[in-house]
Amino acid sequence: MSIELRNIGKAFGNFVALDDVSLTVATGELVALLGLSGSGKTTLLRIIAGLETPDHGEVLFDGKSAAEHGVRERKVGFVFQHYALFRHMTVFENVAFGLRVKPRAERPGEEEIACRVHELLKLVQLDFIADRFPSQLSGGQRQRVALARTLAVEPKVLLLDEPFGSLDAKVRAELRRWLRRLHDEIGITSVFVTHDQEEALELADRVAVMNAGKIEQIGTAEEVYHRPANAFVHGFLGNVNLFHLRIDNGKVFLGDTAVEVDTAHGHATDGRKAVLAVRPHLLEIITESTGAKSFPAIVKSINPAGPQVKVELIAQSGDLVQSDVGHERFKSLHLQIGARVYLRPREQKLFIYQI
Amino acid sequence: MEAPRMLPAAASRPGRSTPQDPPLARYGLTAIALGFIALFIFVPVASVFAEALRKGVGAYFAAISDSEARAAIRLTLMTAGIVVPLNVTFGVAAAWAIARFEFAGKRTLMTLIDLPFSVSPVISGMIFVLLLGVHAPIGGWLYRHGIKIIFAQPGIVLATIFVTFPLAARELIPIMQASGMDEEEAAIVLGAGGWQTFLRVTVPNIKWGLLYAMVLCNARAMGEFGAVSVVSGHIRGLTNTMPLYVEILYNDYQFVAAFAVSSLLTLLAIATLIAKTALARHVAPAAPARENNAAGSRLAA
Repeated sequence: MSIELRNIGKAFGNFVALDDVSLTVATGELVALLGLSGSGKTTLLRIIAGLETPDHGEVLFDGKSAAEHGVRERKVGFVFQHYALFRHMTVFENVAFGLRVKPRAERPGEEEIACRVHELLKLVQLDFIADRFPSQLSGGQRQRVALARTLAVEPKVLLLDEPFGSLDAKVRAELRRWLRRLHDEIGITSVFVTHDQEEALELADRVAVMNAGKIEQIGTAEEVYHRPANAFVHGFLGNVNLFHLRIDNGKVFLGDTAVEVDTAHGHATDGRKAVLAVRPHLLEIITESTGAKSFPAIVKSINPAGPQVKVELIAQSGDLVQSDVGHERFKSLHLQIGARVYLRPREQKLFIYQI
Repeated sequence: MEAPRMLPAAASRPGRSTPQDPPLARYGLTAIALGFIALFIFVPVASVFAEALRKGVGAYFAAISDSEARAAIRLTLMTAGIVVPLNVTFGVAAAWAIARFEFAGKRTLMTLIDLPFSVSPVISGMIFVLLLGVHAPIGGWLYRHGIKIIFAQPGIVLATIFVTFPLAARELIPIMQASGMDEEEAAIVLGAGGWQTFLRVTVPNIKWGLLYAMVLCNARAMGEFGAVSVVSGHIRGLTNTMPLYVEILYNDYQFVAAFAVSSLLTLLAIATLIAKTALARHVAPAAPARENNAAGSRLAA
């Protein structure tokens, strides 16, 4: 089932949680809503499920408005952030719940329920804990039980709120791969909310980057990472150094070095703001100037712990930036704190926008 | 709620206060506390039973099987039987509304729920007499249509409801607030209807709190004196509840009988106390402790 959101708006009191958000999710697609807390991503997910009502805008399932359908009729599966397992029921009963509450005419028999529950528990590889209570499970197990419980009612859409949020790093990576495989196997249209960029980039077919109630960019992991629409997306996806530039007579300067501008990034007219973004591993330190393609800077601190040496520098624009240098290269540079060097971006993004 | 779980933790750190506090203070304070309990709780309770059995077991059973005594016991049980279910229903509704919804007047509702605790029971009784007495407009109208409220059982039930209604609501509000809406929302998304969600998810989560509230409500309903005294009219064998009957017997110098009936109420109090302690253990590990328990069981494994 495809999902279409049209101009969704939602405010809680004075706080605007969602500001005119539109999004389309194709049948069978896995989409991530990526953003910081308070960016409106969970509210959007709850609106899709029908747990919240938008102030304006429309939710369409397969092109038909879902407005008159309540939560029960939408046939969505929702996995809650803290799983919301029924703590007084065993794992078996948790998974069977959705089948037991069906109207009498549709309700499967006891044998069929048992068969279906065990099938689902096998799918999530937890058949051996059917008799335990949620409090006796680890975080990862609870998360998989929550998923099995949701899949029991055969939803047309799967919505997951921070599915790996409260798990430790190792379990998280493992479950992530497992969820991706599961999605590919059953091909259910899925939307999940996360604040973890790595999770979004690795797992999703497309990523919607959200900020302050709006979708900043939506695209494949490749697109949002390598062709970010704006400085926010670029900064949000991975570490990035921002050089704040000066626009003077249609030319762009970093300190007193002119920066080459590709007009595709927007016109450098006075009164606009320009930002140059460079990822730390793509910011090279050199000892001699190479003209317009390098900028002077002063070494501020050096941290050699880790696979790469992290060098902090102050650029002429006043920005504190970081360069990740390989240990070999670092040795040959003979860097000292306070030394004057040049920075050469191997790859850079220029963002020009209205203030 | 938290207190019963805190105590063992505090008790397991015996060395903490010893270095600073001189022995005199330690033993002195302990002696004062125990002395107070002995003087004001243990001695009176023991004397109730001693007085009741002063003329032997025969006189004791004769006193409590007297027809007026039996009428008082029956009236008390009936009143509690009506009041407890009504108040628990009200308590669940109020707790649900307060814990789950945002609405105008929520604060006012919470304040009003506490009202009966801050009003003297005698005044609570007076309110009903003034409202529903034969000389009041509503009461007069009802009387002319053959419905007698004041100086009859309905009045006793009303007054008892009034003084006990905060108990259930106050007990359930924090439990429902702590457990949150997640599980109910999960049930609804899984296709459960309102009643299914309530009966299969909400009630099991609050069942110990519900029982606890019933025990408290029942104890107060059976023991209420002030409000009931005003509305009952003290008609022997008709509108005397157990506490009222005790007073009448005492005023008639029938001490053995008075204490015999009192001993029944005392036994009820002791049973309530035991039930309360047993239930408190189940009520305490509500939602917030869930994660801790889980962490604990993981460590144990």
